[in-house]
Amino acid sequence: MDYLDGVIVLLVVLGLVGIGIYAIMVSRNLIKIIIGMQVMVKGVLLAFVLAGRVSGNMGLGQSLALTVIVVDTIVAVVALALAVRVRRRFGTLDPRALTTLRR
Amino acid sequence: MVNGWLLLPIGVPWLGCLAVWLVGDRKPRLQHTLAVIFSVLAGATGLALIPWSSQRATLLLPLGGVFDDFRLATDGLSVFLTVVATVIGSLAVIFSVDYMHGEHSLGRYYAFVLFFIGSMSGLVLTTSLLWMFVFWELTALCSYALIAFHNDDPKAVRGGVKALIMTQLGGLGLLFGALWLYAYTGSYDINQFLGNPNVVPPAVLSWMAFGFLIAAAAKSAQFPFQTWLPDAMEAPTPVSALIHAATMVNAGVYLLARFYPAFEAVPGWRLAVMIVGMLSALLAALMALVAFDLKRVLAYSTVSQLGFMVYAVGAGGVFASQFHLMSHSVFKALLFLGAGAVIHGLGTRDMRQMGGLRQSMPFTHAVFMLGALALAGIPILNGFWSKELILEAGLGHGNPAWIAWLMILSTGLTAAYTVRMVSLVFYGNGSKHHHEAHDAGMAMRTALLPLAAGTLSTWLLLGPFYTALKSSLPYHTLELGTVWEEVVKVAGSPEWGMTLGVGMEILREPSTYLVLCVVIVGLVAWLGRSRLASLIATFKGVEKAAQASFGFEAINEAVVQAVQKTGEALRVTQTGYLAWNVFAILLGWLVVLILTMLGRAS
Amino acid sequence: MDANMAVIGLLALPLVGAPLTYLADRLVLRRGGKPRLGQWITLVILLLSLYILAIFWRSETRREGVWLLVGSISLHWDGLSVLLAFTTLLLGSVVTLFSGTYLAGEKAHDKYFPLLLLMIGAIIGLGASNDLFNLWLWFELMAVSTYLLVAFYPQEKGSLEAGVKYLVQSAVGSVLILLAIALTYTFAGTLQLDGIRARFSDLSAPLWVAGCLFIIGFGVKAALVPLHTWLPDAHAQAPSGISAMLSGVVIEAGLVAMLRALTALGAAETHWGILLMGFGALNMLFGNLMALRQHQIKRLLAFSSVAQVGYMLAGIGVGLAYQQPIALAGGMFHLFTHALMKGLAFLAVGALLYALVISHHQHTPLTVEDVCGAAQRYPLASLTLAIALLGLGGLPPLAGFMSKWQILVGGFSAQTNASVALMIFAGLNSVLSLGYYAPIVNRLYRHQASEAVLKGNPLPLVMILPLLIVALGILVLGFVPSLMNPINDWAASSILGFGIR
Repeated sequence: MDYLDGVIVLLVVLGLVGIGIYAIMVSRNLIKIIIGMQVMVKGVLLAFVLAGRVSGNMGLGQSLALTVIVVDTIVAVVALALAVRVRRRFGTLDPRALTTLRR
Repeated sequence: MVNGWLLLPIGVPWLGCLAVWLVGDRKPRLQHTLAVIFSVLAGATGLALIPWSSQRATLLLPLGGVFDDFRLATDGLSVFLTVVATVIGSLAVIFSVDYMHGEHSLGRYYAFVLFFIGSMSGLVLTTSLLWMFVFWELTALCSYALIAFHNDDPKAVRGGVKALIMTQLGGLGLLFGALWLYAYTGSYDINQFLGNPNVVPPAVLSWMAFGFLIAAAAKSAQFPFQTWLPDAMEAPTPVSALIHAATMVNAGVYLLARFYPAFEAVPGWRLAVMIVGMLSALLAALMALVAFDLKRVLAYSTVSQLGFMVYAVGAGGVFASQFHLMSHSVFKALLFLGAGAVIHGLGTRDMRQMGGLRQSMPFTHAVFMLGALALAGIPILNGFWSKELILEAGLGHGNPAWIAWLMILSTGLTAAYTVRMVSLVFYGNGSKHHHEAHDAGMAMRTALLPLAAGTLSTWLLLGPFYTALKSSLPYHTLELGTVWEEVVKVAGSPEWGMTLGVGMEILREPSTYLVLCVVIVGLVAWLGRSRLASLIATFKGVEKAAQASFGFEAINEAVVQAVQKTGEALRVTQTGYLAWNVFAILLGWLVVLILTMLGRAS
Repeated sequence: MDANMAVIGLLALPLVGAPLTYLADRLVLRRGGKPRLGQWITLVILLLSLYILAIFWRSETRREGVWLLVGSISLHWDGLSVLLAFTTLLLGSVVTLFSGTYLAGEKAHDKYFPLLLLMIGAIIGLGASNDLFNLWLWFELMAVSTYLLVAFYPQEKGSLEAGVKYLVQSAVGSVLILLAIALTYTFAGTLQLDGIRARFSDLSAPLWVAGCLFIIGFGVKAALVPLHTWLPDAHAQAPSGISAMLSGVVIEAGLVAMLRALTALGAAETHWGILLMGFGALNMLFGNLMALRQHQIKRLLAFSSVAQVGYMLAGIGVGLAYQQPIALAGGMFHLFTHALMKGLAFLAVGALLYALVISHHQHTPLTVEDVCGAAQRYPLASLTLAIALLGLGGLPPLAGFMSKWQILVGGFSAQTNASVALMIFAGLNSVLSLGYYAPIVNRLYRHQASEAVLKGNPLPLVMILPLLIVALGILVLGFVPSLMNPINDWAASSILGFGIR
């Protein structure tokens, strides 16, 4: 892999993480926010693969990525469960409704 | 553990504190009894220390690390103040048996009073700056808890929190001084520092000196921290007598006197101490002249008298300041407890509703008069001798004369406000409900009598007190030493001869008569105030300013308001919006990144 | 049992215990009983772990620290690990003892103790990891178990809202950590903390960026201002026992994880130290000012945690920036005393909350007005709350004073303008904090009891007992602070001399 490839992958990583954070900040739906979190983590996975490649230990990079996927799935499940509860209790998924705790 | 008995003056009252608290509020009689027993025991342990006042007995418990050692040591100064704390403490507890009869939460009251007595003993006995600070804060904690004893009264709570925060704020000066000492010497040992203050660089020594001055000013309610003491008068009166007149507020003066040898050479320090003392003495005397709350008058008078002591330390009169401290704690405790008897009998603190109590409370009247005369500086009561010593120290030693003159003016004002107070309370035509007013009860009399006797006689201890201080404080240069020692030679007996000698010398000094004249002018000025109406009218502005405590209350209030408003305004930042929260994370990262890159470039 | 076995036992016990507890409670539930068994199993496991820790402490070989290889994962057990494990197990046992009655009426009771054990196990593991990725894994395990515990009351709006915010913000922080790990791995070629530290005497630009990512990523959990916004919500809404754990050890675990990551990038230690000092000042000021105007007690305590983290940051920052072991040890000591004091504060408030609100099957928050006069009906709960609050305010002779003192000594011993100025600032802040602690104490001791207090139910002894134990600890440490010196000093030296075998 030459230098240019690395830069391109890096840009994709940053792009994915940026998109994810942007989604979290502007979405008006909790599900979309959770999707945003997922997109961020996908960027990170790519970063791990890149790191494994650059440091010449592709196997380790991949196994790290796999572990991240597992953990991330658990987080997503918990988040979705919370979202379900929120929908039942608040009657909406809009994060702007979740502002009873302030000041 | 050698000399473990040194822990007794701390341990006995603390044990009592635990005992009274464990008894619980359902058995008030037992609580009263236990409190009296333990406080008297504490007084006995304090008195038992007297033989060690001229030699050093030490106790050292190693703690290790940055906590160094726990040290206790006796010398003239510490034993003397332990005796004051424990003896007056026990008298205040005895007085409380009548005064607090039938009150709620007696357990909390006595527990904190006893806790205070032990802490105060610890504060003066310890020779480790860390533990001095610990005990310093403990006394502040007790003071806060007892001022706010009537928690339902918002005024009491405000007074308590104010006292706590202001003394803590000043206490930081002591804290940082202790930290500097440790940073340079790796120890908190006070005596090692006093023996050679140059172990810390001059700049740091100067920081320490002024830090200690701030701490002392806050603790002793001196300018510009004087505002907490009048508000502390919401405390039950025995507490005011014990903590806010006789013991805790003296801790500041004690601190300055203890560290005088280390700081005397710091440029500007002595002048600053003198000015702080003078301003407190003068301003508080003016405020005492216009206040109508009996306890507030006494509180202002305490500030003013503490100002005299602080001034004395600055003027180089360490012995004079400590001697006045002794006199003051006796006669001011007497005045406060007497005022407590009046307040207890009448149910009001407003002097305008008093008057004519001479007839209905003859005993209280008699002892109160003794205290008042001592406060005014009338011979031969103890206040006279010690005040003369202070002014003598101020006029000598090449101290600035204008400050000394202002101090003499303050003595005149002291006499004036004393007469005003006494005549408002005990003389004149009483208002109607005074027939029901009852005189002090048995327990109250038991507490008042020894204090009255002390007011008449403690000045006789001048000689022994001087000898004890001189032999046990190697780093202090006590004033007037040579002249007195000559007198001792002539008189034969070293200790009592000295009392005689100094007494003679005071009577020989021309300044004594000058001060007496000022005092008499002060007395007459109040009595003949109707003749001086035109003169007084010109001072109307001063009176108004004095009633507004010269604007210091307003400054306090403004600071508190500003902090509260900032707190309220900042609450906007907790928006509750998830998007903003995430944005803050991003923003935080950007700022850290930029700072890091700047740091890396430099 | 030798030191290595002890460490393995410590790591394994809570993690094995968690499913066991759950199973036990489920079985009891299925038979129609009350799920009380889980609580006692949890308590036994935690006390057993504490015993193992004691065995480790007394073993001959512990001084050099323990290096273990489990599979391909290397673990390192040093002073910092011991401090974190000790704090967590101690507070965890007390919380377990306290929580049984507190939760008796809740539906999800059977999930509480397994999750608590999981969290404790994760924190112990976090302290032992010597590998960046492993560190993150433990950290994430801790986070997941706390998400569920924060949103423990599924019927409560506040609880859900706090859970969602906590989760999303933590997830963002977690992504930043992962990016930092990937960066570090790319440019250092290894994930071993000691290996990275040994490799660089000077950091390249990407590693500086990684350092910033670590600070912010772990900083979300450690509640650095302005990343703290989830904290007051989560700590106030969680069940009181969990609030105690969150404030007492979880945010501190974030701090420890951050320290571990930063010591790997130790070539820029001075810089990280100065940054942490800055955050320390910010946290103290902001936390105290925000707490000043709060009306709900648990929310007030949560903001006070933000401020207290500031003191730890100040100690740690000075320690890293100027290589001051005293300041670092002070920061570590404050971590421990804060766990005791804030744990006690939350538990005591929890006891009052239970007596006044929860035992009436309600979930309204406790305000400062509600606790007026509580001392008359609940003397011990009020006394312990007062001790905790005054200790947090830094009044001697309570533990909080002594740990702050040690931090201040560290700052002055560094003898630089910046460190001394920060310490003076810390002292002023400590005085400011009394402005909100003291009035609560006054309210507790009023005669005029509030309506809530008058209607309150009595408190069972099993809830009072843990309060008394912790309060006693706070008092003893106030008089004999040097008891903790060996652990604190070891923790400090293992941070500064990290990775030197």
